[in-house]
Amino acid sequence: MGLLALGAGIAVLTAIGAGIGIGVATGKAAEAIARQPEAEGKINKTLILGCALAEATAIYGFVIALLIIIMLK
Amino acid sequence: MDTISEKLNEELACKTVFTIPIGNGIAVNEATVVTWIIMAVLILFCFLMTRGLKTRNISKRQAFIEWVYEKLTGMVGGMVGEEGHSYVPYLTTVLLYIGVANLVGIFGFKSPTKDLNVTAGLALMSIVLVQAAGIKHKGVKKWAHSFAEPVAVVAPIKVLELITRPLSLCMRLFGNVLGAFVIMKLIEAVVPVGLPSVFSLYFDFFDGLLQAYVFVFLTSLYISEAIE
Repeated sequence: MGLLALGAGIAVLTAIGAGIGIGVATGKAAEAIARQPEAEGKINKTLILGCALAEATAIYGFVIALLIIIMLK
Repeated sequence: MDTISEKLNEELACKTVFTIPIGNGIAVNEATVVTWIIMAVLILFCFLMTRGLKTRNISKRQAFIEWVYEKLTGMVGGMVGEEGHSYVPYLTTVLLYIGVANLVGIFGFKSPTKDLNVTAGLALMSIVLVQAAGIKHKGVKKWAHSFAEPVAVVAPIKVLELITRPLSLCMRLFGNVLGAFVIMKLIEAVVPVGLPSVFSLYFDFFDGLLQAYVFVFLTSLYISEAIE
């Protein structure tokens, strides 16, 4: 169980990438809105899509961690 | 730790509700039954809302449903583009289904999208539709040739995309719904009152609807790429 938990923990480390990605994307979006407030709607749409795509990598790590805990027990 | 793991196992397992006694017996899963309930509710809603439609002197009900229809098809139509307007009804249906399926957990049902088989089926439907749209709009020869565009070297990657695209669609939806569910369960275990309702607003409503949107957006992106 100990090593399994460790493996699951390592799998969840993918969340670091997603966090950095979403942070950068949101920062750039804030800059873009500050520069062109009238384009806020379009920027928001793109931002949400980009965040959802970046978030997916974290989700993959989560799914794998869950599979490790549940399937290999 | 053991109790949470057991609870998760219980939630992940696809329980059989009843068996149809034909041949060896066809097992009917919980997700299928909840899907039937969602279908019944959506069909009943549509039936009640679309009765007695008029062209003049429209009622408030008709104005409301026309507004909803315009908004939904406008949103999906904007994603799939002018050429793919014949795919808008299917995409809107998928959007409604996934949206309701993600929200249905609030009413105590087991959300169908938490079952990997449901999301896998939706992703398969998407990729079959994308390829069929490509064949229909370009013809078999041009469709087969599109795998070798822009250069022939990318052909293996394009063929691999046939597998990775539905896989990522399926896993994204499943992982997000399950992840939100697990986090909500953990929060409920720590603070049973008050706090869960605040987080539920984000994880159940916002994330559920966002994932439905993302699923349809990606499918329409693939379609508009296939028929261009």
